[in-house]
Formats: sequence, C-alpha cells, structure tokens
Amino acid sequence: MAETVTISIDGQSYQVPKGANLVDAAKLHGTDIPVFCYHPKMKPVGMCRMCLVELGSVTVNRESGKPDLDEHGQPVIRWQPKLQTACTQTVSEGMAIRTSTAKVVEARDDILEFILTSHPLDCPICDKGGECPLQNLTMAYGPGESQFLYDDKQHLAKHVPLGELIYLDRERCIQCARCTRFCDEVVGDDVLAFHERGRKLQIVTVSDPPFDTKFSGNTTDICPVGALTTADFRFGARPWELSEVPSICPHCPVGCNISASTRLDRDSGGKKVIKRIMPRQNEQVNEIWICDKGRFGHHHSLSSNRLQTPMLKKDGAWVEIDWKTAYQEVTSRLQKYGEKVGFLAGPSLSNEDLWEMRKLARRTCRDCQIGLWPATMTGLEAVTQAGVGVGTHLAALGPESAILVIASDFEEEAPIWWLQVKQAADRGAKVMVANARPTKLDQYAKCVVRYEYGEAVEVLNHIAVFARRHDKLNQTLVEGRVDGFAELEADLKGKRVPKQHSEAAELLLDTENLVIFAGNEGLTLAQQAELMQAAANLLILTGHVARPNNGLVAVWPGANMQGALDLGFSAEATVSLLDNPPSMWVIGDADPVAEDARAAAVLDQAEFVVVSTQFMTPTAEQADLVLPVLSFAEREGTFTNAMRRVQRFYMAQTPLEGALSAWKVFAQIGSALPGGDKPRISAALVMRDIAQHVVRYAGMNYTDLAHVETQFPDVGGHDLYYGGNAYANHGGLGIQWATNAEKENYRLTVRPVSAEAPKYEDLTLIPIRLLYNRDVLFEPSTVMHARIPAPYADFNAKDAAQLGIIDGDQVVISAGDLQINVSARVNGQAPTGFVLLPIRLSQLPVPAAPAMCSVQKVEE
Amino acid sequence: MLAEKYPERVAKIFSKYPDKRSGVMALLYLAQEEYGWISDEALSEVAALCEIDPTQVKSIAGFYTMYSEKPKGKYWLQVCTDLPCALRGADEFYKGLCDYLGVKDGGTTEDGLFTVEQVMCLAACDHAPMMQCNFHYHENFDLEKAKTLVDRLRAESAQKQPSSEK
Repeated sequence: MAETVTISIDGQSYQVPKGANLVDAAKLHGTDIPVFCYHPKMKPVGMCRMCLVELGSVTVNRESGKPDLDEHGQPVIRWQPKLQTACTQTVSEGMAIRTSTAKVVEARDDILEFILTSHPLDCPICDKGGECPLQNLTMAYGPGESQFLYDDKQHLAKHVPLGELIYLDRERCIQCARCTRFCDEVVGDDVLAFHERGRKLQIVTVSDPPFDTKFSGNTTDICPVGALTTADFRFGARPWELSEVPSICPHCPVGCNISASTRLDRDSGGKKVIKRIMPRQNEQVNEIWICDKGRFGHHHSLSSNRLQTPMLKKDGAWVEIDWKTAYQEVTSRLQKYGEKVGFLAGPSLSNEDLWEMRKLARRTCRDCQIGLWPATMTGLEAVTQAGVGVGTHLAALGPESAILVIASDFEEEAPIWWLQVKQAADRGAKVMVANARPTKLDQYAKCVVRYEYGEAVEVLNHIAVFARRHDKLNQTLVEGRVDGFAELEADLKGKRVPKQHSEAAELLLDTENLVIFAGNEGLTLAQQAELMQAAANLLILTGHVARPNNGLVAVWPGANMQGALDLGFSAEATVSLLDNPPSMWVIGDADPVAEDARAAAVLDQAEFVVVSTQFMTPTAEQADLVLPVLSFAEREGTFTNAMRRVQRFYMAQTPLEGALSAWKVFAQIGSALPGGDKPRISAALVMRDIAQHVVRYAGMNYTDLAHVETQFPDVGGHDLYYGGNAYANHGGLGIQWATNAEKENYRLTVRPVSAEAPKYEDLTLIPIRLLYNRDVLFEPSTVMHARIPAPYADFNAKDAAQLGIIDGDQVVISAGDLQINVSARVNGQAPTGFVLLPIRLSQLPVPAAPAMCSVQKVEE
Repeated sequence: MLAEKYPERVAKIFSKYPDKRSGVMALLYLAQEEYGWISDEALSEVAALCEIDPTQVKSIAGFYTMYSEKPKGKYWLQVCTDLPCALRGADEFYKGLCDYLGVKDGGTTEDGLFTVEQVMCLAACDHAPMMQCNFHYHENFDLEKAKTLVDRLRAESAQKQPSSEK
C-alpha cells in the first residue's frame, strides 16, 4: 500500500490509504457506510446525504504542537457539531468518525424518509426489486413508517423512453445523478442531464439519436433504484430467479468479463436461457463496465435461425443428415484430399475449438495450412516479445504514463479500452492518437499525429530515431539482451524526423510507462505486420517492456484472435490458402464469403467445403456440408483477449438441441482418421492438452483460470455501493501469459522495418471497422438495429465536390470487380483522396484492404 | 440563425469567457429574445455554437425559470404573488389581470401578445405589489396601471410601432 494515514472508525484505529475518502476507507476495513449518490468509480458529490457520519479531529495544543491527551493518555477528539457526508471527506491523520451512534442512525432514518416521500411502492413489479440499494438500505436503516401523507404522493410518468434502449421511471428516480455523472465523467458523452429542479426534476436526453452513447446500459447498473431499466430486460425476470453464470463477451478483443443472468424460462420451453447480460467485475479488464454491444448482443444464442442438424448439399439442395454420417462425409473427404485441404478459423472460436481444429489439420496431413479469418492482422511475434507486461492495469494509469493509439478508431473497435484510455487521459496520462483521420479519442489526446494512409509505420520509425538521438534508449537492455540492434541502427541512421513527430516522441518518451495500441486501419496485411514490428522495436529499444503498464497491444478483430495466433493459426496461412487454393476447405465459424469477394470466388471453385456455423451464413450457403455448433453461451471454453489474458466462460444456456461444441465436432472427425485418438470428454481436458503442447499456455488449467481474488472496490455480495447480484466475480480473473521480455533468459530481436508507403494517387477506398454492424453474432439482436447505420461511405468534401455528390446521395463504388451501393456522407471524416467504407454493414463483401475505387452517383 | 443575424453579439458573448461552453446562458437569452422562447431548434442552435450536447443546454434552460421552454406571448407578464406582494393584494391584482386579458393562470391571449404567470419573489418587496413585463419592473402596481400598460402595448403592437417594452 502507498502512503497511509491513521484514522479512527468507531473507536478502532486503522491504517488507510492517503487521499481516500471516508466511505472507501471504512469499506476497506469492513465498515459499510450507506450511500446512494456516491460511486467509487466517480467523484463524490454529497447529494444524497445518506453517508452522514459524526466527524472529529484531534485537538492540537498550540504551545506544544502536540495533541491534547485525556486522562487515559488518549488524544482528545473534537467532534463537529453537525454530521458530515463521509463521501466528500478525504481522510487525514488523526481523523475520527462514528458511524453508528444514535445521531447517525436517526439521520439515516430521516434521509430515507425524505427519499421515500414520493417513491412508489411498486417494488413487487420493479425490475430492481430484490437487488435494489434503496430497498436494501431502507430495510437496514429506514423508518418503518412515514410521517408524510400517502395521498400527497407525487405521481409522474413511469415509461419515459430515453432512446430505444433505456427507459426512465420518473417516480422511482431519487435524483442521485449517478447516471448523468457516469455519462459526463466516465464516458464524456454529455447526453444525459437533469431538467427542471426540485420535485419536477427529470432526467432528459435530447441528443440525436437519443441517449447517444455506446455505454448507456451501464447507467441501469449503477442506478440505485429502478428508475433506469433496459428495454431488453424490462419486466423480463425477477432478480432472485436468476442464476448468474460467468462468461466472456464474444464481440471484441477486450474480453470483457460478463455475467449471464439466466433462468429456466417457460416461454423458451423450460430451457435455461439468458435474460440479460451484466458486467462482471475484473479490474484488470473491464472494471465494472461493458458496452451496449456486449450487453445487448447476446440474442444470437436464442435466435430461431440457428442451425440444428448437419446438412449436406446434394444436387444443389440441402439434405438433413445425422452427425455420424456427417463425420463420415468429412473424414472420407479429408482422406481423399489429404494434402489439398485448407483450414480456416473464425475470430470467435474458443481456444479449445482452435486446438482441436489444429489437431485435425495435423492429422489430415503434415503441412495443411491453418488460416485465420479475417486475414487482416498479424504480428504474434511482436506481441510475444513486447506485449504489455503481465498485470497491466489501464484503470490505474495516470500522469506517469503515456498511451499511443495508432491506426485504430478505438471507440468503435475496443470500446472499453477507449473508456479506460479516456479516463487515463482525464487523470493526466499522456495520450497520443496517430491516425489518418479524426477519431473520437482525439479530443482527449495531448497530441494528435495525422499521417496519410499507409504512413503509419513511418511515425513509429521516427519516434525510434528520436529516441536514439536523444539518449532515450535503455542501454542495459539493448546491450544485454537485444539482437539485431546494429542493423536497425544502421537503418534508422540519418532519417529526418518531421517536427510533428519529434514533438510527439518527446511527449511519449518522457514518461515512465508507455503502452502502444496498434490497429490496422488503412493498412495492408504486410504493412500491418511492419507496424507491429516497428512498435515492438520502439518499445524494446526504450525499455518499455517486461513491466506492467508497458508494451504493445494489438487491436485484433474478434474476441479470440489472440488465442488463434497463439495456437498457430495465421493470416499469412490464409493468404497462402487463397493464393494456392486447396480442393477442400474446413471452415470454423468464419464468414469469408460475406466479407471478401476473392475468398468467395476461391471457395466457389473448391470441390468440397465444410463449415461449422451457428447460422446459414453466405459462406454456409456456398458450402457442401454445414455442421451446426453451439454459441459461446451454451458451452464451456476459454478466450484469450488481446492483452493475452486467457479467460474462462461457462455454460449459461441449455445447449441447442442438435448442435455441438465446435471442438467436439473437430475431435470426432479427427478420431475417425488413421492414428486418431478418442475425443476428450470435456473442454477442461482439451485445455490440459493445450497446456502440455503450447509453451505460452504451459501450466494453465481450468482451476487456476477460475481463481478469484478480492478486488477493490469490492462490489460483490451485500456491498452497499451497488445493487445487483451480477457484479461479483466467481468465474475467475484469468491468466495472462508472459512475454519473452518478461522471461529473463530470452533474447529479444529487433529488425529494420520497411516504411515504404504506397503512393495513393487515385481515389482510394479504406475499409474501417464499426462497433455496431451486421456481424452474424450481432445482427440477431434486434433491439440494437436502430443503432446500426445503413451502408454508407465517408467522402472528403473536396472529393465529393469533384464527384458532384452531396451528403445523403446514393452512390455506387466500384473497386475491382465489386460494385458497392451505399449512401454518401460528407462530414469531414475522410481525408482528401480517400473514401472510408465501414465493413459488415450489409451481407455483401467490401474490400478488406485499401483499394483503388471509382464512384458513380446514382441518379434517381 | 443567431450566428448569422447577430454575429457581433455572439462574438462579444464568447469573448467574455475562456471556453465556448461558458457562453451558453448568454446565448440562451439571445435565443429567447430572438425567438420568444427556447424551442428544441433553439437548443440545438445554442448547443452547436457552444460545442456541447443539446442535452446540456436543455438542462440549463430547464433549471433557470427565466428561460421559457414553452411558446409564449410577445409580452411576458410575471406577477409576483409571494408573501409581501400577496399582503398588498397581489392575488386580487393577478386575478383581475387574468380576467382583463381573458386568460387563465399561465395562459396566453388569443392574439399571442400576452402571457401571464405567477412567479416567486422578484426582490422588489418594498414596492409591492409588482410585476415584470419582459424583465422590466413595474412597481407599486395596481390593476388600473396594468390595464393602461396592456392597452398601450396592444395599441403599439397594432400600429407596428417599435415596442417600448423590449
């Protein structure tokens, strides 16, 4: 613990961290001071007055400068005549509080009586009932009766939509401002505010669209009453019927810990189903927040379009077959095609699925390629060497840290990291954003570097040159453990560094910690690989490795891209598969046909394509055999997030009849091949295999992955900061695998990277990633449809003028053989000469890498 | 649009503050003066000028009673009915004024000229009863004086004369 001070709580002396407030300090030692408006993730405001305590301080004798002592030799405490709010008091040496005297008890009783004057007695139909702080605190501290007249209660609107996701019940609101402060302080989207005052006060939003933030669901979690509820869960179930199952969000590389609230549901035929998704506390990953995609994006699991039987295409028509036949169909083909089989894994397969798929590939033939989809990012080597240190804690970064986000629209690609980096910036961390276009993080950045698409690598090279020239290299590390420095130095020598980049370098390298988040926007696969290496070079040379809060994070697409790379899958293999197409493809939960025209054409030529999938995707439709598999919610497994944390998810939902876990399917197929062994009977045993064979996962097992420790703020159980039963983490905090830099006997390698940027002379199309898209796992969540934009492309005003198009026009973009129909947006996002085209806004493929294009306006 | 119509006034407002969001209250007054009330469009316009979310502007417009979020008449008659004024007959005065205008409490005349409203203390108790018309004080008031004022304003309005009550 850092510096501490001694305070007295109810007569007992405690050491508490300096700078803490009284509520947190008391909580650390097991004393609950009830609160409504205070929230440990936000600044205290002292609005609700529930945390009133008696506050005293040591009296100091002016002459001696020492505390006055009573007859027992104890310091004399001077108690303040009035009660003070504990949340707004910072602890100081000798401070004393009393939290359970008659005066305090009476004050709490009175405050609750006031809060309840017009609070409706609708707990029996309230979504929060059963996990409601107001209910809990009223039971614990409140009056049994009210002196106010029941008939004078104020009646207000009970179904006020704040956008299509969140509903407000005005009667229940106790005006604690947690929701508005969350939007303002935590997220920085000022889209929720108080309107009017006194008893007329109301939470309002007039943004367009209403409540325009990607984190709106969190306000319903922190609401201490049932005033804010989600459209998704409202009236869906009572909290005490729900059993919480730990899980991991399957949507993005952050790997947020979530809790699936499940119950046996009559409407679903008595099956155990997910009623809502809540955040599960993991301070090192998502703290207690999740984005709306994670919260509302679970419906794919209960979709009626799920596939339930294996199907074989015979003469162009689908025929349902049983699993045994399906296995035989695949094994016989695998034997037939042997070396001419290619494997392709999607971004949301679990490590267990990937392992069994890899085993199957190895058994099929020695050099079968195992590719990764989407094949847009690579760089395992860079991450293995210079990935962020184990124990990296974004939520703790402050002025001593610098964070560089390069080639990524962070809020769209990894919302919770965006939130944490934004808050780090608020705490004084030096955030630098490097991208070819403005992104939302820019407004929180100390420094914004604009480059032209393709020049991202150059920026990192320049910073490395600056580091070398200004003596920022970590000589001990470089001389002791780094190979290839001479070549790199020769390459960097003599490079001119533009002023903008040297300013940025000065900012970044002047701090103790440096984290680099690297994306792939506007980069080809080859360039992205170089970007990763350039980042690793910079981090290794400057010694920003092998420590927590230092190192590289790749903003992968998908939830388990890291795991796939760890287990040997790669985008390079995919490229090689597309260049030399095999006769047979085995595809696991990927949809290349919908995303890439070339892949669609290649797959069309293949003789036999097997797809394991939850849905009849365009890829599945083009296949010869489809194998229905279970969703993340219906089985056990592990995902590895982009900070290399391996995390377990558990079976939350009754598995769909007919579908199987993907790893089981691959294992069954493999077992029928010559030399095949019996399939494992559980995911835990597959993980044991992985731990035995994959060095990075050595020693990992399901028991250790499920290990939990007390976290602060401790939000589980009967904690009075929060309501809710879903925050507590019983499922495990996960384990990060250590980078080579962290293992002292490993040598590190740097190498010169090619920063050659292509000269984009014609109009160039840049694919970008949006959070809300028509991804196969997200589309079934109809509640989110209003937030998914219709297909569009961003044009620069100059280009638009030249092309004769204005905002809102329908245009056709031609790139290669592709014709893409979109509406045009001209809003200052796109740099001159570039068209930004979000991927996956429709089921039609768009280019996956920068491509030349021409644009035609559609005349009406 | 305020920025086009009153570029100098807007610039002057912004020049007073270190950042743009601080100009919100002054701009809301300007918007109210221009449009008569703070409509949703006016909110958005002020928000765009201050570079903040319209929700924040609405919150401010809602908190302060001197911004009106409902359409009102050209002349906004606010009659204090707090205790000192009430002791000097403000209630009868207010009722008489409503009757003379033919409107109910808080209503607007059919010609759209006058809106009447009861308000809390306006800090002129020593000259009670009092009312304010578009933020101009009329103290030591009585019904006859009020009728004269209303008639005068009606006449001015009918002749399209520049109003004596801004």
